Amino acid sequence: MKKALVMLLTGAMVLSLAACGNSVDDGADASTTDTAVEAPAEDEADEAAEVEAPAEPAAPVELNVTTTFAGEDGNAANFKAAVDAWCAETGNTVADTSATSDETFKTRVITDFETGSEPDVLFFFNGADSNSFIEAGKVVSLDEIRAEYPDFASNMNDDLIADSLVDGKKYAIPVNGYWEAMFCNMEVLNAAGVSLPGANYTMDDFKADCQKIKDAGYTPIACALGNIPHYWWEFAIFNNQSPANHLEIPSVEEDSAWVAGMNDIKELYELGYFPDNTLSATDDETFAMFTEGKAAFLIDGSWKVGGIVAACQTDAEDASTIDQAKLSNFDVTYVPGKGDRKATDLIGGLSMGYYITKKAWDDPDKRAAAVSFVSYMTSDEIIPVFAQHTASALKNAPTVDETKFNSLQIKAMKMMSGTTSLTGAVQDLFQGDCRVTTFDGMPEIVTGKVSAEDAVAEGLQTYYDAQ
Amino acid sequence: MGANIYKNKKPALIFMIPAFLFMIVYLYYPFFMNIFNSFQQIKTLGGTSKGMIDPWYWNYAEMFRDVNVGVSLKNTLIMMLVTLLGQVGMAILLAIMVDNVKHLKGFFKTVYFFPIVVSATALGLLFNLIFLYDKGMLNQLLETFGRTELIDWKAEGIALFTMMLPVMWQYVGFYFVILITGLNNISDELYEAAYIDGCTTIQKVRYISLPLLRNVICTCSVLAVTGALKVFDLPWTMFPKGMPLKTTFLTGTYMYYQTMEAKNVDYGSALAVLIVVLGFVLSKVVNAIFKETDY
Repeated sequence: MKKALVMLLTGAMVLSLAACGNSVDDGADASTTDTAVEAPAEDEADEAAEVEAPAEPAAPVELNVTTTFAGEDGNAANFKAAVDAWCAETGNTVADTSATSDETFKTRVITDFETGSEPDVLFFFNGADSNSFIEAGKVVSLDEIRAEYPDFASNMNDDLIADSLVDGKKYAIPVNGYWEAMFCNMEVLNAAGVSLPGANYTMDDFKADCQKIKDAGYTPIACALGNIPHYWWEFAIFNNQSPANHLEIPSVEEDSAWVAGMNDIKELYELGYFPDNTLSATDDETFAMFTEGKAAFLIDGSWKVGGIVAACQTDAEDASTIDQAKLSNFDVTYVPGKGDRKATDLIGGLSMGYYITKKAWDDPDKRAAAVSFVSYMTSDEIIPVFAQHTASALKNAPTVDETKFNSLQIKAMKMMSGTTSLTGAVQDLFQGDCRVTTFDGMPEIVTGKVSAEDAVAEGLQTYYDAQ
Repeated sequence: MGANIYKNKKPALIFMIPAFLFMIVYLYYPFFMNIFNSFQQIKTLGGTSKGMIDPWYWNYAEMFRDVNVGVSLKNTLIMMLVTLLGQVGMAILLAIMVDNVKHLKGFFKTVYFFPIVVSATALGLLFNLIFLYDKGMLNQLLETFGRTELIDWKAEGIALFTMMLPVMWQYVGFYFVILITGLNNISDELYEAAYIDGCTTIQKVRYISLPLLRNVICTCSVLAVTGALKVFDLPWTMFPKGMPLKTTFLTGTYMYYQTMEAKNVDYGSALAVLIVVLGFVLSKVVNAIFKETDY
């Protein structure tokens, strides 16, 4: 089942790459960016209108919407344009409280639900992070919505919509998928005499390259272990497992792959491959090291493509100011593999989606508007704008126009076409407080102040205590 | 009739009720709820309790086992010393110097007071840029003097210094203004008499200004020590999550970390109770030490 899902997801991703070049007539100026797209054909527009037809509210309302399309997210501008277009089309307004996706954002959303001040529509994670408000019955399932609006999300491949961990029902309608891979600064690699890692790249190759880069006077890995160790955490564990068992959380007593993963990071730290200030730096600082040609490798998510492109622009808000020569220095490739995990086995999937809250559903004025909003944001025309070089769950992916992409997006597509599997992130199943000892505690682990065994065991104990 | 309005206290009581209710709802109720919550099992802020924690005193016992509590208490005590010596001490020096200049007194008062009006979070971001590892102002300055290696101002050994320096700098102006007002209240006749007797400037400060400022200095000291317990925003902006290696936690930042980041609300509540107890005890001690005297 999992393999089938991976294949479906990979297939959908490759097909939906096509979508990147297409745009929607959003009634606003969505035509200026590289990912901006052309107006849909008339028949497509009619189809979209059909989806929205039953959802029109009687009178204009204000919807409270929270998403992660904010800050450095590559889709922040696309979201704003799409919201403006929907408001212009329906006469409704949106109170947008979107924020950068981090632990603080998650806490805020969960707290909002618990205090009864949740938004009407929410774009949020579909893993364990959503358990609390699903358990409390504060969001509406896809089945319940379809009972009243049969065409709702009918353009989606339901198999690719994640089931809730709570009750197995589907709640979150996905927009864009994600992948996690390794970005490379080719300027640094060339200076150190290191070639771009390929599909058969192993951890041993990686360590040899890191040493060359370090000897050449550069920092091999851009990562703030004291701030955002998440990506290394995930892949270090994955490297001691396989795609088949990565999402299985070990028992407390087990001498698990998790401990081995933490010790792998410790080894890289002791070899001096992370920045000198990795324990005191922020993610922004180490990312700047990468984009400014001081560090070679950066493991991060597909959303970072937008951040790298913005770093190559003289005006981060204006895509026309991009320095193409600088952007050509960046590439993206597979994360070094180890054991049963091939380098081409990546972390990825559709981890987020639009929820309609019970609060909006029970409000006769807002129900139709909320359905209309989610239908619009997950329509065949809008999803490609957001999905870009990642996956989507659309049944029918539009055609590709590669000329609409920048060089890094094209490299990302090429890299993704060679992916052998996409597996979800196990940290999405491992709720917030369980992560404390190995996320916030990563500096203690790598400096040897706390053993990996103790840190992992304490986190797992917290996890099982909460079950 | 005219005299009765002073005898009748009912109107005054009626006018006090809104403020009293406000205090009940927004101070005393949350305060007692916080104590109650410290004995419950609550993971997320606003989340429902899963019942009484077992044993009921678990969170308070945990404080003795938790090394970070020790670190945050130690750092908070250091912060108190820094505020006492750094803020009040520096403010005394500045106030005396400004009091002795003939021109630009208003200018200096404004300059020294200015940091108070800037938000602590903005100051935190500002000092982040100053202490930035790569291309930070301080490291660039050292580079111009020939230093080739960058200094990590937020590294384990010096992080506390880097954190306390801006906190100290921010509030110097506050105590400076209080002290300069105290100096203005000292009669010029005393200084004139000292001048006739042949006192030097240092002698005037030693034997006139400082003794007559004693009560003002005491007030500033009490404010500084109790204020140090509440310092939160600037340290958190510069050193979130006690970074690096949880060495920069203060009692306030650790309580916030447990509540908001570690999703351990009941333990955060217990830490809040500790802060209140600590604040109460310390304010009593400080008040006893810096007792004002009548002249």
